[in-house]
Amino acid sequence: MRNRKISFTVNNEKVTLHVRPYETLLETLRERLLLTGAKEACGLGSCGACTVIVNRKPVRSCLILTLEVEDAIIETIEGLKKNGNLHPLQKAFMEKGAVQCGFCTPGMIMTAKSLLDRNSRPNRSEIIEAISSNLCRCTGYKKIIEAVEDVCSKE
Amino acid sequence: MILPKLDYKKAKSLEEAIEYFEKSNGEAAYFAGGTDLIPRIKLRLRTPSLVIDLKGIEEMVGIKKTDEMYVIGANTTIFELKNSEIIRENLPTLYEACAQTSCEVLQMRGTIGGNILQDTRCLFYNKSLTWRRAKGFCYKMGGNVCHATGGKNVCYANYSSDLATALLSLGSKLVIVGKDGQRKCDFEEILTGKPEKPFNLRQGEIVKEIIIPGGKRQGAFEKIRIRGSIDYPLINGAFTMDSKGGKLVVGAIGSKPCVYSVETIEEERVKILSETVFNDLKPVNNTVVSPVYRKKMGKVIAIKLIEKTKKGA
Repeated sequence: MRNRKISFTVNNEKVTLHVRPYETLLETLRERLLLTGAKEACGLGSCGACTVIVNRKPVRSCLILTLEVEDAIIETIEGLKKNGNLHPLQKAFMEKGAVQCGFCTPGMIMTAKSLLDRNSRPNRSEIIEAISSNLCRCTGYKKIIEAVEDVCSKE
Repeated sequence: MILPKLDYKKAKSLEEAIEYFEKSNGEAAYFAGGTDLIPRIKLRLRTPSLVIDLKGIEEMVGIKKTDEMYVIGANTTIFELKNSEIIRENLPTLYEACAQTSCEVLQMRGTIGGNILQDTRCLFYNKSLTWRRAKGFCYKMGGNVCHATGGKNVCYANYSSDLATALLSLGSKLVIVGKDGQRKCDFEEILTGKPEKPFNLRQGEIVKEIIIPGGKRQGAFEKIRIRGSIDYPLINGAFTMDSKGGKLVVGAIGSKPCVYSVETIEEERVKILSETVFNDLKPVNNTVVSPVYRKKMGKVIAIKLIEKTKKGA
């Protein structure tokens, strides 16, 4: 099966690639663009470790074919740092100790970012609702929720 | 987990999607949110040579309300439904079912059409090819025996759609488009009751929209699952009531939900109804909890749903 040409924007950079029709967005990000922040864990859409933002919506990149994202705007954890400064969510995760093994962290932060993008002052239950899309096997949820709350209180 | 080789085509219209399907000699799969299909392909439960993306078909998206009916495009996402004022205000059964389906991120991707057309699930079926080869293929996979029951030559896989249970209680109809044109039928009609082939759809047909009779309804939805944040139901139930009476549906046990007409919700009648539900449910050991527990919960859910609706009315 021949590779097909596709263009999209990743972290404000336009890219044009030739990809396999059965290639997932996660594979393209990690293996072609070397953006290894998004992780593969379950590979079946259950855990959320591969979450990235496509056209302002959080998605499981392991369940999306790259050919679906023609002309889309994609944000990954690597694009959050601006002018050498970490994103407030990244800072809060560090300050609040919301990172243990760190494997779920990129997905958690991207899910939290998409929540804050559509609702800058979510309450605790809205944060829990959003974050519950992602699994943390270190079970560090309390600190993660506190970190997101911390960002909301400062905004 | 990598996908097997397959081709991808994006359809801009229903006609184009059906044309792609016809050319594939029946080897294609329609693809909307992909939250059910892609994991199945990864596990080699389905092996299409082509996936036809329906997301570009604009007429399949949206929620419309008239005095006579609600029309929901099959490509409307569960998140859009959950956040729709029309659904929240008028159809609490469907709203609650949407809120309890999967998790928020998957709700943004999963569509109502895909949800109701998801294949049946079983603890011994939704596994990797390696696992299934080692165990030996079950009845649903083309083998001779059902592993869940220890050897019967019948399949007991569960139809796990939460939205289907709610839509059945709302008396929904489906608009289906195929190469021979468009047809409209009751949702219940397309459910075969056979777990190995749960839907009575002709090859290449697409569910275009879901039609719910108009008017404001009272109702409730209940679901039991292991993790409240994201999980398939162990059992679910929906109850919807209007001035003419109510409809109780208990699902996720077996391949077709049980549907009951409820004329009155007096305490004595509800008690008899809950006993009927208990007797009708025939769960087997194909989820992570015991079948006895699921059977007992059928009775509990029936009473709880009607109580909840009474309070809300």
